Amino acid sequence: MDKILDPRLQRLTLINEPLPAKPELDQLPTFEVFVKSRAARPWRHEGSLHASTLEMAFVFAKEQYSRRGTCLGIWVIATHDLFVTDYADNQTDIYDQFTEAPGCSGEAWEVFHMYKRGTQHTHAGQVSAPTPQAALACARNALERPRPVLNAWVGAAGKFRKSTPEEEAMWQTTPEKLFREAIDYKTNEKIKAFKATQS
Amino acid sequence: MNTTALKELLYKMADDQLIMGHRSSEWIGLGPLLEEDIAFASKAQDKVGQSLALYQLLEELGEADPDTVAFSRPAAKFHNSIFTELPNEEFDFSIMRHFLFDTAEYYRFELLSDSTYEPLQQVARKFTGEIRYHILHANEWIKELGDSTEEAIARMQSALDKALPYALGVFEPSPYEQKLIDSGLFAGEQALQNIWQDKISEIIGQTALRLPAWESIEPVYGGRAGHHSEHLQPLLDEMGQVINSEPGAEW
Amino acid sequence: MYGGGYLFEKTSPDLLKEEDQEKLAAFEARIDRGEKIEPHDWMPKLYRQQLIRMIEQHAHSEIIGALPEGTWITRAPGFKRKLGLMAKVQDEVGHAQLLYSAAETLGKSREQMIDDLINGRSKYSNIFNYPAYTWADSCFISWLVDAGAIVNQVANSKGSYGPYCRALERICIEESFHLKFGHHCVTYLATGTPRQRQMMQEALNRWWYPMLMFFGPPDKISAHTEILMRWKVKILSNDETRQQWLDMYVPKIWELGLTIPDDKLRKNEETGKWEFTQPDWEEFKQVINGNGPCNKERLAVRRMAEKRGEWVRRAILVKASNKKYVTPLA
Repeated sequence: MDKILDPRLQRLTLINEPLPAKPELDQLPTFEVFVKSRAARPWRHEGSLHASTLEMAFVFAKEQYSRRGTCLGIWVIATHDLFVTDYADNQTDIYDQFTEAPGCSGEAWEVFHMYKRGTQHTHAGQVSAPTPQAALACARNALERPRPVLNAWVGAAGKFRKSTPEEEAMWQTTPEKLFREAIDYKTNEKIKAFKATQS
Repeated sequence: MNTTALKELLYKMADDQLIMGHRSSEWIGLGPLLEEDIAFASKAQDKVGQSLALYQLLEELGEADPDTVAFSRPAAKFHNSIFTELPNEEFDFSIMRHFLFDTAEYYRFELLSDSTYEPLQQVARKFTGEIRYHILHANEWIKELGDSTEEAIARMQSALDKALPYALGVFEPSPYEQKLIDSGLFAGEQALQNIWQDKISEIIGQTALRLPAWESIEPVYGGRAGHHSEHLQPLLDEMGQVINSEPGAEW
Repeated sequence: MYGGGYLFEKTSPDLLKEEDQEKLAAFEARIDRGEKIEPHDWMPKLYRQQLIRMIEQHAHSEIIGALPEGTWITRAPGFKRKLGLMAKVQDEVGHAQLLYSAAETLGKSREQMIDDLINGRSKYSNIFNYPAYTWADSCFISWLVDAGAIVNQVANSKGSYGPYCRALERICIEESFHLKFGHHCVTYLATGTPRQRQMMQEALNRWWYPMLMFFGPPDKISAHTEILMRWKVKILSNDETRQQWLDMYVPKIWELGLTIPDDKLRKNEETGKWEFTQPDWEEFKQVINGNGPCNKERLAVRRMAEKRGEWVRRAILVKASNKKYVTPLA
């Protein structure tokens, strides 16, 4: 191997031989992350991550999914705690599969909709029901949907780690971290001045 | 206002943040899992960003500009605690140091939110939110690793034992301690240490780790007065290598 | 950061004969209508397999790509550069995280992918097997390698697989910061002192040909990818991405008074195409096969990171309330 150029690595011992295959166990559970970036916008699914506990997932979610711009809060839930419907065919509504409305009381459920392939799920609202399927049947009438829903996710409200109002302060300085933004790296003046010296 | 006392306070805080941020940055791209790599990298950026804000306060008080102050002083002119300059070692020591340091930092900024020096008060208020995340992050790691596999508990215990004397060094009294307190600039190291000990005991109490009696720990002082370990100068040389290679140049 | 020089397995139309022809027709019709495929949809085996391969190569390129620039994190000159570079390399790790998640939705676990990377069974972008000797090398990567990646990634964000497109949209927004940051760094060197200028020119000379190779071999010698293009897995050909990059960035390099180490480089006004000296494609093959200047180091570093993190992952896994791994949703 040539000389290592990174001083950080010069201080460590690298491993030149292949490692034994990873045990299957070495796979952490996955979580889904929803972010509210502005007051007027709904909670939106931003992506997934690997973590041990719900609390650790929350810690990770903050920096992976809300380290730029404004953020009013995040919700995190274990993937296996989300009930996922099929994908409806074009022009049909997934709610056509959930017509039996039992009593709409019991546990609180958060419902998320995807309206178009390729887009992210957004929060449609909360309903009370005994099961996730029942929650969808209740949501069918209770929640607004501007157009047919292609796919829906339902999770018990109590299974989410939701940021608290006091925790909002954690995002207070995020919009000021301009060193992460393209806008902070303007070159026009420098190039103009350089060109002037060249001609 | 006692400017000398104030400057001493600002220098030690700024130097602490800079050196901690720099050490944390050594983990970027090499973390134990991708998600933590990202979280750790943000903490590194926040600490460096906070040091910059503090150096800017010093500049307003007549000191040189932040790049000069941060990248061209020799070790003897640095006032960071020795704790922050120690090498990262493995994740156990790195995260334990973060836990002990971040807790002190959070409550220091909280106390300074009432400082009579208004520019410092504003900086402190501004950053307590983001440091809140730092302790949320550190506490969660300590709770998980400190109460997990035997291997993890043993590693975390030895990291704690090694870190504590240095962590107490963070509260090394300043020669201007009484002046700072009297003028309402800062509540003082002793007041901070008392709060800190309670919080540390509270979190460690939720794990399988053992905390020795506080009075049995001999603090490692010296950093605040510019007496450092052998680790600081090489680190400063590395930080300044490019910027000092061409004096007067803009990078 | 990936330029699109993906390595695909040889595709044989025979593989498609085994598929349910009715489902296959509906799948292709959906793509023709410009609709995205989502994780739970039916898809041909070949589509799944090639997508995993492609997204995985892209993800690996992000974590390996964090290394040459990472070389300069502790030495970045001044606050602005230090903060910018930390954020930039952090983004690369973040991109890997997003991309591995997208690949996971297709059924390959992250641990399996990382296992394949560190034991040399997977590929990643060749360019990261070259060393970053000076600060200027890091600046070159931030600006021009990222610029190349953007050309490819913007195109691929119009592809057919929903989770990959969503990851790429996010990635492209962050890359616009990388591009500006990199251009800013290069501008300060190129318009700086004679020594800074020389440093930048030397870095450009070193990286020019690896950069041309970043987009993959010329179309005429590349593996056939018609079916992947029809399925919108691959959007632009290698030559198309290379030409786009040359078109956008050669003038910007010249504007800074830097020279490009190829006296044959010129735009043919009749064809609208750039003509240039071909890089050494034999070297490309050598580097792909593990014989580049830094291949061994890159993998050795990832193995070390893996090994150092092992006890941490094992310990927190014990804390997991539900240890069953579930494929992430998107």
